[in-house]
Amino acid sequence: MRPLIISEVHKLFSTRLWLWLLLASMALAALYASLLIGFSDDPDTMTAPLDSPAGQQTLFAVASGGANTLVAVLAAIGVTGEFRHRTATATFLATPRRRRVVLAKLLVYVAAGVGYAIACLVVVASIAWPWLSAKGIDLGLLGEGLPSTYAGVVADVTLFAMVGVGLGALVRNQVATVVGLLVYRFVAEPMVTAVPALSDWTAYLPGSASAALTQVSLSTQNYLDPWLGGLVLTGYGLLLVIVGARVSVGRDVT
Amino acid sequence: MRVNLFRELACAADARVEVRGLTKHYGGVAAVDDVSFTVEPGSVTGFLGPNGAGKTTTLRMILGLVRPDRGRATIGGAGYADLARPLEIVGAALDSTGFHPGRTGLDHLRIYAAAAALPSSRAATVLGVVGLGDAGNRKVGGYSLGMRQRLALATALLGDPAVLILDEPANGLDPEGIVWLRRFLKEYAEAGRSVLVSSHVLTEMQQLVDRVVILHRGRLIREATLAELSGDHGDLETAFFELTTNQEIRP
Repeated sequence: MRPLIISEVHKLFSTRLWLWLLLASMALAALYASLLIGFSDDPDTMTAPLDSPAGQQTLFAVASGGANTLVAVLAAIGVTGEFRHRTATATFLATPRRRRVVLAKLLVYVAAGVGYAIACLVVVASIAWPWLSAKGIDLGLLGEGLPSTYAGVVADVTLFAMVGVGLGALVRNQVATVVGLLVYRFVAEPMVTAVPALSDWTAYLPGSASAALTQVSLSTQNYLDPWLGGLVLTGYGLLLVIVGARVSVGRDVT
Repeated sequence: MRVNLFRELACAADARVEVRGLTKHYGGVAAVDDVSFTVEPGSVTGFLGPNGAGKTTTLRMILGLVRPDRGRATIGGAGYADLARPLEIVGAALDSTGFHPGRTGLDHLRIYAAAAALPSSRAATVLGVVGLGDAGNRKVGGYSLGMRQRLALATALLGDPAVLILDEPANGLDPEGIVWLRRFLKEYAEAGRSVLVSSHVLTEMQQLVDRVVILHRGRLIREATLAELSGDHGDLETAFFELTTNQEIRP
């Protein structure tokens, strides 16, 4: 497996996409954190006060808000790019056991997800610390519940990397995969979860399971427990990866 | 091109490609129909046929990229997927488009060297062999068709393989490149290795190949040495057209 992982790491870093999507993830984390702090004194705000543990957990949870979807996009583009640019031929010639390629990609993009999550948490911390100090709020980085929030953010982003690998392997078409992913995340699921009567069911959808990991979302959706949310999201990721590797990746490469 | 670039092969049997009864249907049409032939070590075998004859599909079945409906292809007695270190047995250049345009030629090669657990230095070595030494740090998106053909060939050479399988490698090469390729493949075969090269440029093949395998509408219509074929039909071009237009007269 080691040679394959080195090969996949080299694929990831030999084009610039990882950097652009990382910068975009960090920019979104900065934007969300700034909006949250900037409007924290607004009387209509839904967020708990930032001098409370709940408020600070919410603040750090926004770190995964852009990164989770963008890591899924990165992973999906990495997998589908093999078919779009016809490099799958060379890849499968070097590694005829194709499922090993999927596994190597999974490991590499999950690791990339950890990197994205940490970078975004650092962005939030470096905005929040000075800003909250100026407001006279003391932000302890290991304050109540914050380590769980960090863990939730890392889990959220890495599990989305898994979803991206699986979806890409299953669909193979790059445009369909990326458009499908974005439409689902930003249009389809938010519409369904907006229906309160379906709340017991929609809590099990990927986006809600993701929000359950950090217990933060701006909708009125009910959450699962964090561990159950993580389990549900892992289930989606594994299902996509397994079905993709078994059904789609084995198809003829012409 | 230097002489003695390639080590002599220790065991010629490793380089024998045997195709037995390969068959592949697409939507009820037999793209490849019960095709059998052998690629002998120490020779260049020309794989000929009009467009759509099933050459590319056959090559992809040999390499495990397309699953045959029936039949089997082996390299040194083993199926491609069963080779422990495939790039060191078989090198294949199947098309000149299989590159990410945003990656440099050198990065492309390093990726596959890594996947095959080959030393990273092989990337620069094979790039030099195909004459792209100066273009290694340029993005493939800016390569000409001829340069992409050379990069595809360099990818095939990464593992210093016993067998070379090339699909239309002369496409897009300038006349100088074609002469270079011809000498290169001849030397490769003279070192005891096998070369299977498909083409429709018959005049080029006449000067390159020792043996020919002719495919038409998915079926094998002739497997012979060039000498045998010339004895029957004169030159390769005449033989090719007689065989592909008069399919009733089958050997």
